[in-house]
Amino acid sequence: MLAGVLALLSNLVVLGFIQWRTHDEAVSAQRRQVVEQGAVLADIHRTGGMRAIGDGIEDMLTYGDPQTAVGLFDPSGREVMGNLAALPRTKGPIRSGYQTALIRFQGQTAPREAAMVALRLPQGQWLISGRTVGYGLELRDTLERSLLIALLGAVLLGLAGGVIVAQYVGRRVGSIVAVTDRISASDLTRRIPLSGGGDAFDRLSLQINEMLDRISALMEELRMVTDSIAHDLRSPVSRLQSAAYAAAKTSDPGERDQQLSSIVRQADSLMRILTTVLEISRSEALTSRSQFAWFDVGELGAELSEMYEPVAEEAGTVLQFERPGAPIELFGHRQLIAQAISNLVENAMRYGAKGGEILVRVSQHGSKLDIAVGDHGPGIPEERRGEALRRFGRLDSSRSEEGAGLGLALATAIAHLHDGELRLDDNRPGLLATLELPMTRRLAGA
Amino acid sequence: MGRKILLVEDDRETAAYLAKGLGQEGHSVERATNGQDGLFQATDGTFDLIILDRMLPVLDGISVLKALRAAKVETPVLVLSALASVGDRIEGLESGSDDYLVKPFSFAELLARVNALLRRREARLDPADHRISVGDLEIDPLSRIVRRSGKKLELKPREYLLLEYFARNEGRVVTRTMLLEQVWDYHFDPGTNVIDVHVSRLRRKLEDGFDKPLLHTVRGAGYMLAA
Repeated sequence: MLAGVLALLSNLVVLGFIQWRTHDEAVSAQRRQVVEQGAVLADIHRTGGMRAIGDGIEDMLTYGDPQTAVGLFDPSGREVMGNLAALPRTKGPIRSGYQTALIRFQGQTAPREAAMVALRLPQGQWLISGRTVGYGLELRDTLERSLLIALLGAVLLGLAGGVIVAQYVGRRVGSIVAVTDRISASDLTRRIPLSGGGDAFDRLSLQINEMLDRISALMEELRMVTDSIAHDLRSPVSRLQSAAYAAAKTSDPGERDQQLSSIVRQADSLMRILTTVLEISRSEALTSRSQFAWFDVGELGAELSEMYEPVAEEAGTVLQFERPGAPIELFGHRQLIAQAISNLVENAMRYGAKGGEILVRVSQHGSKLDIAVGDHGPGIPEERRGEALRRFGRLDSSRSEEGAGLGLALATAIAHLHDGELRLDDNRPGLLATLELPMTRRLAGA
Repeated sequence: MGRKILLVEDDRETAAYLAKGLGQEGHSVERATNGQDGLFQATDGTFDLIILDRMLPVLDGISVLKALRAAKVETPVLVLSALASVGDRIEGLESGSDDYLVKPFSFAELLARVNALLRRREARLDPADHRISVGDLEIDPLSRIVRRSGKKLELKPREYLLLEYFARNEGRVVTRTMLLEQVWDYHFDPGTNVIDVHVSRLRRKLEDGFDKPLLHTVRGAGYMLAA
């Protein structure tokens, strides 16, 4: 509405200015010309008399433009010379000097508006010289008329456009607001409908929808994690609690010591869960990229395999390391990659030890780096692998064992920190867990 | 022998608990409750060890540490922190601390680290000869040759590093986390008993065929090498 008023006002101002300038200029130019022309004829008459006037009129008719009106009328009003059909009609009786009048050219029927100078000669004749209201004034009139029409059109179009745009914007914004309102009312399932036109509103809506998808995914994960943490912390806490009760009740120092060390163990396992959860969120926040540096992943793999080899042996299996032919340099977080590998190895030993040897392999495929840990245990059925990667997504429902199912989630978060992925495949039989990392120069934030 | 320790910790309960424990070990403990006071007292330079909480009022622990190192105060610093992620630990160590301990910790863990740091300071102050001997065990860090009662022991490289670390902390408790950090340079917590397996392997090599045990398990804390 405001836009319409403003458009109208600015149109009026422009129109007024044009009108004022053109009118003024056209009228003054015309008047000057007509007055000069009259003065010339008066001069001719004064110096040369009637004979000279006749020549002057001839000249004007010969050399003048079609706007030129000239005529010599006898006192009765009949034309003696010139191109006029009759004495010009004026408001009131014709008088000497500059005035406007309606004139009629010879051979024409329609009178035309003209500015003229009338000169009363001594014998009572009228010498008329003037110019029809020329292109300038006509142009001005046309301009004025067109501008007026244009203005009217502009105002109408502006108003109509304003109404349409306001309605359109109102409708689109309304649909966005409706959805954001629902979100404020904590309903994250709604999405903004798209018009399909790909305009700015669609782009905005698309962005908002994507944002909502991400938020609801995060919310869902958060809810699951919170649930799982609450669930997973319950059993160590309750074991801790019962050990504390038992320690408080007993009078046997040996029994009390045993309960106390059980308390310490349970507290340790609680701390481990919390630290790992924290480590996952830190990795996801990408803050530790500032600690990235170059290191040889093959060397790290060898070191970790050497560290776990005796543990595997105690567990009754063999850990094999397949070393790459050449050093594989990665720009990454050595400690966290070490932790990811160690999680995969421990996972393999926990679930796959009974099935035979565990293989750790570091290899390069073009610009990609694979760190694979394979076991020959029961593996994970394909449809449950996604679940296994999630926080607390441990597949045995009993949750009695230590480890809380965070190992694969942490390995995934560390892979993401390096712009990579953790892939789970069938090792035929067993599980093949592969950290797939791009060997790019530098990652954002590193 | 008692040492002078500066404890910069804003949590009253933790500070009192630590001061009491360290006092019972024979150390004299001075306390500061914020970073600025801590920095002021620490630049005094007469402490054998500074225990510095990472999150302090007025001036945080890392800033105190950086200011100290910039002022060329080389007193060993043990940073205590509730920030437990690997990144936080690395940052703490990189800013000039000598050790980093994540809260909550057992007093045994803290004490083991305090003793290791004090011992390192001693070693730095009086450069002894290179050979280390513990009872009838002799270690030559230059050739990495280990003998017990004159008999050469075959150790793998990592086993040697483990033994050398134990020997340098002879008679002091060494925790599993300390071993993981110092011998393997890993700053995460492995879920399994990986350290215990390595220690028991080393123990077999040290003790098989000999009567006297050398490598002792300290319940609830860790291990200790002592004749």
